[in-house]
Amino acid sequence: MISSQAGSLVLENISKTFPQRDGQGEVRAVDDVSLTINEGEFVTLLGPSGCGKTTTLRLISGFELPTAGRILLDGKDISNRPPNKRDMAMVFQSYALFPHMSVSKNVAYGLRIQRVPGKELRERVERVLDLMGLRGLGERRPNELSGGQQQRVALARSLVVEPRVLLFDEPLSNLDAKLRVQMRSEIRNIQRRLNITSVYVTHDQVEAMALSDRIVVMNQGKIEQIGSPEEIYRRPTTRFVADFIGRANFLEARIERVDGGEAEVELLGQRVRVPVTFAVSAGDHLTAVLRPEALSLREDATLAQGAVEQAMYLGSSTDYVVRVGEMVLIVVETDPSAHVVFREGQTVGVTFEPSTVHLLPPG
Amino acid sequence: MNRLYPSRHIAEFRRIFQDPVLFIGLVLVVIFVLIAILSPIYAMVDESRTTEGRELFDRYLNSPVYRTIIVNTLRMGLIVAALGTALGFLIAYVQVKVDVPFKRLIHIVALIPIISPPFALATAVLILFGRNGMISQGWFGVRYDIYGLDGLSLVLTLSYFTVAYMNLKGMLQALDPALDEAATNLGASKWRIFRTVTVPMLIPGIAGSFLLLFVEAIADLGNPLVMGGNYEVLSTRIYVSIVGLYNTTAAAVLSVILLVPSLLVFIVQRYWISRTSVVSITGKPSGVSQQIRHPLVRWPLFAVVMFVVLFILLIYGTIFAGAFTKILNVNNELTLDHFDFVINGYGSEAMKDTTRLAAIATPLAGLLGMIIAFLVARKTFLGRNALDFATMLGIAVPGTILGIGYLLVFNQPNEITLPLVGTIEIIPKLTGGRAIFGGAGAIVLVYVVRSVPAALRSGVAALSQIDPAIEEASISLGADNFRTFMRITLPLIRPAFLSGLIYAFARSMTTISAIIFLTTSRTKIMTHQILNEVENGRYGNAFAYCVILIVIVLVAIGVLSIAVGTTSGAERTMEGGA
Repeated sequence: MISSQAGSLVLENISKTFPQRDGQGEVRAVDDVSLTINEGEFVTLLGPSGCGKTTTLRLISGFELPTAGRILLDGKDISNRPPNKRDMAMVFQSYALFPHMSVSKNVAYGLRIQRVPGKELRERVERVLDLMGLRGLGERRPNELSGGQQQRVALARSLVVEPRVLLFDEPLSNLDAKLRVQMRSEIRNIQRRLNITSVYVTHDQVEAMALSDRIVVMNQGKIEQIGSPEEIYRRPTTRFVADFIGRANFLEARIERVDGGEAEVELLGQRVRVPVTFAVSAGDHLTAVLRPEALSLREDATLAQGAVEQAMYLGSSTDYVVRVGEMVLIVVETDPSAHVVFREGQTVGVTFEPSTVHLLPPG
Repeated sequence: MNRLYPSRHIAEFRRIFQDPVLFIGLVLVVIFVLIAILSPIYAMVDESRTTEGRELFDRYLNSPVYRTIIVNTLRMGLIVAALGTALGFLIAYVQVKVDVPFKRLIHIVALIPIISPPFALATAVLILFGRNGMISQGWFGVRYDIYGLDGLSLVLTLSYFTVAYMNLKGMLQALDPALDEAATNLGASKWRIFRTVTVPMLIPGIAGSFLLLFVEAIADLGNPLVMGGNYEVLSTRIYVSIVGLYNTTAAAVLSVILLVPSLLVFIVQRYWISRTSVVSITGKPSGVSQQIRHPLVRWPLFAVVMFVVLFILLIYGTIFAGAFTKILNVNNELTLDHFDFVINGYGSEAMKDTTRLAAIATPLAGLLGMIIAFLVARKTFLGRNALDFATMLGIAVPGTILGIGYLLVFNQPNEITLPLVGTIEIIPKLTGGRAIFGGAGAIVLVYVVRSVPAALRSGVAALSQIDPAIEEASISLGADNFRTFMRITLPLIRPAFLSGLIYAFARSMTTISAIIFLTTSRTKIMTHQILNEVENGRYGNAFAYCVILIVIVLVAIGVLSIAVGTTSGAERTMEGGA
């Protein structure tokens, strides 16, 4: 059990079930989720659609009520507090700007509810519009702005009320790719500067990696893994996480020897020693994760030999699909200039960087 | 069927309790529905179940006379539903899909029946085509007896086809033109597209219009009273039971017999047709549909539609002419006497009372409709569907039935006896002699009950076009439900609010069946006065009433449009961006 006092926002064994469309039975959208989010931390809920991440966010915001469990903010149980009394502001996927109000009125909306006096209100609206690069657009209507500008107004409107927690529901998914990258770094900068505890929902793993202090990977209503972007990428604890975050090759690995926290396995004809954090013994069959960029192709007959089934030249890298015996491996050569570009059908030697090999715990 | 999840329902209600305004709003709405809609209907059904009522059931259902009345009612309903839907479809199709001139005129003429008082059409048709009709006898020299099923079908079809027209026009416009293009692209002819794409897509709309017209027709009282002749239907029989025989039990029994097909149709419409609709009304057509230009299609259709348009104009012309002449077709001398009678004479009281009561009912109905729409479309609580259903009963139930229910429930003060406290009067006597406000309270209540359903539907339709995240954004920024409703929701659904208000006013001014038993010597209502004038053959006065009523409604539409505003200020995007 997690201590209620540890973080600023705590989810304790939260579950949420919805009745099914036909009225028969229930869908368990969020299944016994526990999570502690620290002061000023940027946490992302990441997972495929239908994994329960948005429901979790809506439970935090109070738009949905948990079927079981508690939500605590600064140690106080807010599970039954209505959403307008939670001191959290949400940035919506559709921006949800008030279409009948000007940009300034949109941004001032929350401050008017807090009865902030006129002069201070104007100053704060001005300041946040400046911060978001919206100076001079205050009198425009939302439909007179570009998508990126609308996104900034939505963020400004949430920031200006200085909420205890900022919630993001896939805010960048309606933007085109370039703008998305730019807004991503702006959100990160502002969050760092203002040090606002933030919960962010996305299905885009690159976005999650770029923004987060910690990522919560969810699948079928449950948390698969919580960790920093690096931990999630380099040391996934489940096959789902390894597969969902980036691309991964999964190789059968038999433990040859166990020796003081390290296991020795044979992969692609090479013996490697891999650190393990769980109990294993010689003879166990485990799954090893090898990221595509950790593999490389050489014209070297001493290495494990494979046939190039597909080669795709992508500019900054070349993607290969290589068949080695029964296995099909994805290989990403990030520095094509250093080597030849192999042709489809060609036989090549496959090697890898031993330090990147990661073993998934059994089960 | 929905299973009950006690803990969830408790949590939902706790959520509503936490917001006092939301809670009070919900409680008031529920009280309104219970007292103003459900209790009169229940009282009426209850009255029919007394021993006396059971005997009457037995007698009526086995008597050839009453069987004929029931068959008459259903036959009339089916004919009007078929003709009205066909006419509505024809005009809608020509309006949307065929390249013809005068589209604007056709549209306006098709809408006129909404604001026309009852009896206006029937009386004008009598003058034109009756036994001494200006056209039937004057031009063709025939003594045609229009009283009965022929006349009724004609008049009711012209009164109600607008419903089908509006319904089907909306659906035709919402049909994605890309479907037509795809069919054409695959080699289909226009006729084939009509048969295999357009009509099948519209079947739910056609069926829905048919059922709606059926219910309107069998519930109509004014036209059968004027036009029926020997063709008796249930609604007139109910009227006679109350007004002529003072037998509420007989009226209640007949009402239940009338209620059965009405409710059946309402339920079919609500749970079957609305689910099978394949046309998504998005509010914005996604392209310009190809208009039919083939001369052999275009001109015959145009001729038929123009015939209908001219016919309707002729009828309304007759109403105006009749209002300004001594006795139309007998003494065609111009006069303002009829207007003098209504404006300065005997009729002025009714004119003022009716307008005042409609003006009180209109904002109540509009606001109530929007509040119920908000609760139903945006909040989750146990009984949400029941609330929607019960509100819709206000219009699904024939007006006469509601009127009798009001007599049964409110003709005496409603009291409860509590221990220690004694007897408390919770609702004073609302109808009949010595009623509070001279019976005006009951009439306003009936106006509201009859108008709220339309406001509710247009409110729900408007809300479904607005991203709920916009309201959630308001709440997330700290606003409570009341503030969110007033500052965000209501401004965004302003056009729906306006159409709810306009409908409420027009409906209140023109309704007859629901209030005919509720007018008192102290509260006179124009539609009831019109009936008196028609029954006494004073058509001139009746037409003057009609003209003034139409003018009042048109002025009110103008005033409401200016006061409320026709736009929400967010016309280009309603989705908060994107």
